[in-house]
Amino acid sequence: MSDQLFAQAIGMCAAVLLLSAVLLVWRRAQAAALPLMSLQGLALASLVAVLGIQAGSRELLELAALVLVFKAVGLPLVLVRSSQGEQGGAPLINTATSLIAMAGLTAVAYVVSAPLSALGSGPTVQAIPVGIALVLYGFLLLVTGRHAIVQLVGFLVIDNGTSAVAFLSSGGVPVIVELGVVLDVLLVILILYVLTGRIRDEFGATDLDDLTELHD
Amino acid sequence: MTDTGVRIQLALLALAVVVALLAPVHRRALLSGLVVAGIGIAGVLTGWLALTGHAGRLTIPVALPFGPVTLSPAPLGGFFMLVIGAVGAVCAVYSVGYVHGPAASRTSWVALAVFLTAMQLVAASADVVAFLLAWELMALSSTVLVLTEHAHRATVRSATLWYAAMTQLSFFLVLLGFAVLSAEAGSTQFADLAASHVDSAASNLAFVALLLGFAAKAGIVPLHVWLPRAHPEAPSHVSALMSAAMVKLGVYGAVLVTTQLLVSASTWRSLLVLGVGTLSAVYGILQASVASDIKRLLAFSTTENIGLMFLAIGASSLLRPYGSTDVADTALVACLLLVMAHAAFKTTLFLGAGSILRATGERDLDLLGGLVSRMPVTSATFGIGALGAAALPLTAGFVAEWVLLQSLIHGGGTQNRILAITMPVAVGAVALTAGLALMTFVKAYGIAFLARPRSEGASQAQESPTSMRVGLVVAAASVLGLGLVPGLSVSVASRALGLGDAAAAGSGGIDLVGLGATLHPGPLLLLALVLVVPVVVVSVAAARRRPRRDVDLAWGSGGVRVSPRMQYTATSYAEPLSRIFDDSLRPERDVVVTHSSEARYLVERIQYRQRLSDVFESRLYLPVIGVIERVGAAAKNLQNGKINFYLAYSFVAFLVVLMVVTL
Amino acid sequence: MVLLLVQVVVMVALTPLLVGVMRQVRSRLEGRAGAGILQPWRDLRKLFAKEPLRAPGISWVQAAGPVVLVTSGLLLCALIPLVGTVASPLLTDDLFVVVGVLLVGTVALALVGLDAGSAFGGMGSSRHMTIAALVEPTVLVAVYALSVPIGSSALSRIVNARIEAPASVAAPVSLLAMVALAIAVMAETSRMPVDNPSTHLELTMVHEAMVLESSGRDLAWLELGSWLRLGALLGLIGTLTLPWGMAVEVAPVPALVGVVTLAVRLAVLGALLATLEVFLAKLRLFRVPELLAGSFVLALLAVTASYLTVTV
Repeated sequence: MSDQLFAQAIGMCAAVLLLSAVLLVWRRAQAAALPLMSLQGLALASLVAVLGIQAGSRELLELAALVLVFKAVGLPLVLVRSSQGEQGGAPLINTATSLIAMAGLTAVAYVVSAPLSALGSGPTVQAIPVGIALVLYGFLLLVTGRHAIVQLVGFLVIDNGTSAVAFLSSGGVPVIVELGVVLDVLLVILILYVLTGRIRDEFGATDLDDLTELHD
Repeated sequence: MTDTGVRIQLALLALAVVVALLAPVHRRALLSGLVVAGIGIAGVLTGWLALTGHAGRLTIPVALPFGPVTLSPAPLGGFFMLVIGAVGAVCAVYSVGYVHGPAASRTSWVALAVFLTAMQLVAASADVVAFLLAWELMALSSTVLVLTEHAHRATVRSATLWYAAMTQLSFFLVLLGFAVLSAEAGSTQFADLAASHVDSAASNLAFVALLLGFAAKAGIVPLHVWLPRAHPEAPSHVSALMSAAMVKLGVYGAVLVTTQLLVSASTWRSLLVLGVGTLSAVYGILQASVASDIKRLLAFSTTENIGLMFLAIGASSLLRPYGSTDVADTALVACLLLVMAHAAFKTTLFLGAGSILRATGERDLDLLGGLVSRMPVTSATFGIGALGAAALPLTAGFVAEWVLLQSLIHGGGTQNRILAITMPVAVGAVALTAGLALMTFVKAYGIAFLARPRSEGASQAQESPTSMRVGLVVAAASVLGLGLVPGLSVSVASRALGLGDAAAAGSGGIDLVGLGATLHPGPLLLLALVLVVPVVVVSVAAARRRPRRDVDLAWGSGGVRVSPRMQYTATSYAEPLSRIFDDSLRPERDVVVTHSSEARYLVERIQYRQRLSDVFESRLYLPVIGVIERVGAAAKNLQNGKINFYLAYSFVAFLVVLMVVTL
Repeated sequence: MVLLLVQVVVMVALTPLLVGVMRQVRSRLEGRAGAGILQPWRDLRKLFAKEPLRAPGISWVQAAGPVVLVTSGLLLCALIPLVGTVASPLLTDDLFVVVGVLLVGTVALALVGLDAGSAFGGMGSSRHMTIAALVEPTVLVAVYALSVPIGSSALSRIVNARIEAPASVAAPVSLLAMVALAIAVMAETSRMPVDNPSTHLELTMVHEAMVLESSGRDLAWLELGSWLRLGALLGLIGTLTLPWGMAVEVAPVPALVGVVTLAVRLAVLGALLATLEVFLAKLRLFRVPELLAGSFVLALLAVTASYLTVTV
């Protein structure tokens, strides 16, 4: 594809990634988590596909399919099963503050990726800060979520962000590596699924405010 | 040649481990002791080879992130190998008869063998990595040994904690110093470090770190707090090894740093070394003179002697740019003579204390007494060791102090204000420590051995078994030998410093050529023997006519006051001194008077309680530890149990790392 | 070597007379008739003829300690230049060695006191050693002060330099050092104001308490040893302040002159000391450190001054 098309496609995917993350933080509602996570997974898969088409590599296209299956479909389904329709309580910091925090983290992401400009100046390099921002948003979700489910979502967002940075900066990772990473994430999600189930069985809810025994 | 010696030592170490683990229980002490003594003797021979110029190089390829490890003792290292090996051999022979209970276990014997070998390897190292590895090995094995009797006494655990903390602190500081030096010089070999020129800021940092690290290991005030706690709690042969051999490696490090690795003419460095040395010497002997636990007394006496060694090192580097090189060299020779003398008499004293402990079960001088007739060999050897520690003529201690004083009084001469004030103060400090040491050891010997027993244990004492007696006699003989033939020790010390054979004189005496001072102990002894003959003849003649008569009662001011409790104890012996030095010692005194129930003017009971603690511990260490504990308790509030907070901490850490890497 | 033995014999003969002179001067000044100069010799003869007693628990130290004390006293008389200043090449008359020999005697006396097994012996021993410990800095720094102008601590060389340049005796540095040394000698030999040698109250004793349990020949040796030390140290002060008349070569006439001048010096200094004792009261034990600290400061000033003033 032509350079201009390529640049536009990359930009589109990056924008969708960012938008889905912002909406996740804004909405906080687990009910909206499923479509937003799927959207993010879809955007990531299309990013990999665009890179694959541009480079003409079959491997990358296979990877895009893999990402699509797992991240757009599989993991969000597991997420829904874990939450079982629970509505989350009020988050630890209110929405306005979290949106301001997001703005600050975006600035940090752009500062931090300044040295990466040494890699070149193509559209892929310019999209790297988005991936880093995604990681930082995921952390924000982890830190400020009150429910175990929100933290699962945050973890998945971090994973999406790191994958995005990996693909954008190096033009792809070997299948084995990506497979390994995906399986790791799957394992973690499954464990957390079981764990949240047990917590709900035991305590009737997964509100983290009640779980404060982890200290000296 | 020396590589063969080191190889033999490592082989003997392996043999010692095997013997300790596999030998049957009733033979374990004898066999292990002999093998460990063999390690010591091999060390002596290797050190002698290094001193006489037969260098060798042993490289051990270590499959770690470090490169190969080089063991090639320089003459200075060889000197320390010799001293440590000799001490180790004597202590090993002694321990054959001494060990009982937990000290006779396999762990203890293995740790002893590892300890002795590790000390030898520290002195044999020619590069930083070997030095540090052996240093840490030495620290770990000695910690195990100190902990031997933890099941018998509760104080052992806290003593080991203090010891382990200070030892790791010293390791950290030495590591820091060597890291800075190696980074600047680009190599870890000592030869390269000595040859490279380090810029002033880095070299100052390295000097302070290395000095503090070696001072902590040597037991210099204010980093000495572990010494009076750890040495008494260890079994006696281990105390002897630690006090007579291990702390010397701190002195070795200090000599290495000031004379080879970081030679500079800056005054503040010399004054720093001189200052801490003087402070340690005076404080150490002051605490020793008021201590009533015999091992604590000996431990503080070690601090005093190490202080004198540091004083000698400081004086030497202070005098070198100003006075003649002869005087500075003499001061360094004095330091090494002090090393030898201290090794000899401290071994004797600690082994004697072990003998007393084994025979009476007491460590407290206030509960001993009357041992001179029940334990003749122990009392004779302890007496000789005490003479050496008090630096009286015809002993090794006197020779060392004489050389030190000669170097100090010849030091001035040019109209330098700093020297005009520091040299007299140094001489005054040395004299004060000598006087207080005299009192301390008269107290130790007199109260422990003379007069009548003050407790049940002391009245039941029996002399020690053969191996202990052999160890004691050899150690005491070395105290006298080094004192009567000092030419030998001076020539060994000069060789260790690379000064040639300049100072020995005929008839085994010393001739300090550059200073014009001579010392001949041999003829002095002969003259004394000549003069004692008429006295003895007259005494014997008078004894024929009027033999000694036994009576029932000692003089009691006209009353009967024969109870052993009426005798002076160690605490009362030192009481005038503790009053005079009240401000420095700060004893806590408590007098409780119980009046009779019938009349308030009659006293039924008076209870006197005195507690002397280490001033540095209570004024310096405990406040710092309190602050650290408060900070730690406040930091515990960070751990409130909420997962969100923990995640937030890792997030913040991640952000910080990102920023630091970017900027 | 011959000179050394001559010194020893002469001192053994003279020191009891010195003590007799001191006691006689003191008695006369106090208005008493006194026992005569030869009384110390008579005391020694009496003591040798008596049997020593041994209380239970006393060991061989009671017999050996006095012998060591006397031997150290004799050694002091041999080493210190009293009659002549001929230095023998093999025998060092280094001042530090002299101080060391002095301390051997101190230790022997302290151990005799401890061996007695009584409260008084321990008390005397404790006070004696405390004073010895505090005197040592003064002594060594005074020795240092005396050695700086000569560049050596060998006594014969110091005395020779003073003989050749009499003006150096009156130099301020030398005077300060001599005063410090004099106070140290008074403390070390248990004279007033540090200790009263004629007290009978046990709680005021320092030296006497240690010899309380000794009797017969042990006491004789202890007394003679103490007198020898006193004589040797007074002789040292005399040699340093009035060095004239000393023999500089080994020959009969100079030696005789040396002996006579020694006797004169000892008599003069002894009488001076006795007169001083009549007019001084004994210091409380815990005031003695102040006195010794003062003498230490004098010695320190002497050394510093000798470095900072222009040396010849």
